[in-house]
Amino acid sequence: MKHFTKLAVAAAIAGVTAGAAMAQELYAPNLAYRTGPFAATGIPLMNGQADYLTMLNARDGGVGGVPVNGEECETGYSTEKGVECYEKTKSKAIVTQPWSTGITLQVLPKTNVDEIPILAPGYGFSPMMDGKTFQWAFNTPSGYWDAADMIIQYIEGQGDLNGKKIAFLHLDHPFGKEPLPVLEAAAEAKGFTLLPIPVGLKEMQNQSAQWLQVRRERPDYVVMWGWGAMNAGAITEAVKTKFPMENMLGVWWSGHDADLAIVGEAGKGYKSISWSFPNMDAPVMADIKKHVIDAGLSQTNDVEMQGVFYSRGLVISAILVEGITAAQAEFGTAEISAEQLRWGLENINLTEERIAELGLDGMVPPFSTSCSNHTGHSGGWMLEWDGAKFVKVSDLLKPNVEGYAALAAEKAAEYAEANAPWAVNENCGG
Amino acid sequence: MLYRTAGQFKTSYEADQALFPVKQDAFLLGVILLLAVVVFPLTASEFTFQTLLIPILIYSLTALGLNILTGFAGQLSLGTAAFMGVGAYACYKMITLMPWMNPIIAILLSGVFSAGVGVAFGIPSLRIKGFYLAIATLAAQFFLVWLFEKWAWLYNYNASGAIQVPNLEMFGTYVAGPQANSIVQYYVVLFIVGLLTWVCINLTRGNLGRTWKATRDMDIAAELIGINLMKSKLTAFAVSSYVIGVSGALFVFMWRGAAEPNLFDIPLSFRILFIAIIGGLGSILGNYLGAILIVGLPVVLNLVPNALGIPISSATVEHLNIMIVGSLIVFFLIVEPHGLAQLWRLIREKLIIWPFPH
Repeated sequence: MKHFTKLAVAAAIAGVTAGAAMAQELYAPNLAYRTGPFAATGIPLMNGQADYLTMLNARDGGVGGVPVNGEECETGYSTEKGVECYEKTKSKAIVTQPWSTGITLQVLPKTNVDEIPILAPGYGFSPMMDGKTFQWAFNTPSGYWDAADMIIQYIEGQGDLNGKKIAFLHLDHPFGKEPLPVLEAAAEAKGFTLLPIPVGLKEMQNQSAQWLQVRRERPDYVVMWGWGAMNAGAITEAVKTKFPMENMLGVWWSGHDADLAIVGEAGKGYKSISWSFPNMDAPVMADIKKHVIDAGLSQTNDVEMQGVFYSRGLVISAILVEGITAAQAEFGTAEISAEQLRWGLENINLTEERIAELGLDGMVPPFSTSCSNHTGHSGGWMLEWDGAKFVKVSDLLKPNVEGYAALAAEKAAEYAEANAPWAVNENCGG
Repeated sequence: MLYRTAGQFKTSYEADQALFPVKQDAFLLGVILLLAVVVFPLTASEFTFQTLLIPILIYSLTALGLNILTGFAGQLSLGTAAFMGVGAYACYKMITLMPWMNPIIAILLSGVFSAGVGVAFGIPSLRIKGFYLAIATLAAQFFLVWLFEKWAWLYNYNASGAIQVPNLEMFGTYVAGPQANSIVQYYVVLFIVGLLTWVCINLTRGNLGRTWKATRDMDIAAELIGINLMKSKLTAFAVSSYVIGVSGALFVFMWRGAAEPNLFDIPLSFRILFIAIIGGLGSILGNYLGAILIVGLPVVLNLVPNALGIPISSATVEHLNIMIVGSLIVFFLIVEPHGLAQLWRLIREKLIIWPFPH
């Protein structure tokens, strides 16, 4: 019994001190997935995100003098755990980062009621770009429809698309189906045949049936919307079927170094569109090395740091911090609220000068957001696997947003209607 | 002493067959109901509602449905999650086609669809049983999930292929959808789960339950004493799938708010099967105990390191969690292979004869 009382007292004290410590910080939880089937891609992303915040806290004492607490809540990429994490963290959170299309879809309606901004960089529901309807959701700096448009643009740059055949190899899941409306519209406008080839979640690692279809149909290009184990499966199958790798292009989540490293030289020519790029010479990397790696505060390693996903995690945290900085400047307070952060995320202006100031040279394209534009449409670079790493092979591609603005507005209106009553941002003009 | 049965005389058959032949049981149930109806809702936070109270109730109901089929009628099934999906999609279609419909009615009706599908997949049980039947129900699992993915009409041609729960009103308050309050949803779930549990308790104690148990224990003997096996098996499939379908509708409408076809895949079926087995096959109480262990424990374990102030990364907690829950399952099954319900039964027996054990 005595033992028990001691334990209870210890717990109570710990609780009180923890509460006191929490007073002065910006709580930006991250619904991380370092376990489960997608951990291989989750770990570098989470390490990048965490390291950037650790670096800021160590170098500048946080943002505006207040440390940022990017506490992780483990979801294992499970929607159920994700909702649990969202509920657990939402009371003091200024932002929520759901990290999976499934969790995003689930928390999207809740955040509109709870009034917490969702930061879903480069994923989630594409019509979220309509900031007037989705006032609490941000998929900066680029959405899936942007990606689809840029990939088509790049392919078009190789030659006329009329009469060509493009296979669309995608995960049979909300994430994989996301770009279909834009690709279908492009197929109609440009006269190419779109051949959607779904890959079931159970067949991710064994895509022989899908690649048999690819071999039979002989498409000119394969556009891949894969994630996790599907990427490695598709790339090894493509090598096996001797599909010309330079005609295979993926979305940014299909450009993970480790997936390509499996095939090495044989994967040469594979491309992936990306809004982030690892630049080991950028000043921020030196700061991270000094304040985080050398101080032993990181879980990352040398190889991982050079990869695309680690630097993407870093950029994501940088975008969040830009939102915080903007909100702090506007409201004149360091400890901003969730609502103030929303304003901040709506007023990001990441110019070339600002990128250089942050030490992120060449790691992210410049972009800006507004109350009606929650995506930023930064555009991206086409990256190509050179046998050992990804290199930039294009100038900055810009998506042709006007092409699907009407579609986004229509889908957003549909969503708002299906979820009526849905609070929209009335004060947002154009 | 605590469970003294002395002085509680039964003078009629009715009294002897009552649901609570021992007064203390009724008293205990009263306390639990008081907790569930008054104390928990008043003290619970949003987090407790969303991660403990509501899911535990819904999972208990699903396990109850499976238990009727597997525990009472002896028909193994691995297709539970798919039948939940039928209930959820049926409810979604009804609500979107007929927006004026009362949500509770819609949820209760959605079970009818899964009952129909359940009976269709139960027909092979007339010829095959045991593991063979389990494999046949596995076919339901694959087929139905495939159907949810491919039949776009089911999800109203949504681009993402997922279903999203709209805001549903009842008597001026939101009961489903993002605008709904957790406490309202909790009461709806509690009401439906309570109602179906009451129905199931009485079904299993009655004529139908006895024919199910006879079929389970020895089908040939059951047939010899005049039980119609076909009727017995198919009613078990129908009732079980009905309950599972309703729980599936609750699962999506009262708790998750959105669902993709993949949600209703085998892992969920296994989860329900774990709950039923660990809780105890052939018992009603066991489903609740099993759901508390399988659904509630990981959530509570996740909070422990934080509450004690132990700095430990969230990913490590998750790994530890899986190990702890896994070993607890093994431990419970070794200590009491008949499940938690049997464990409670033993404790109760011991309490009745305490302090003078034989």
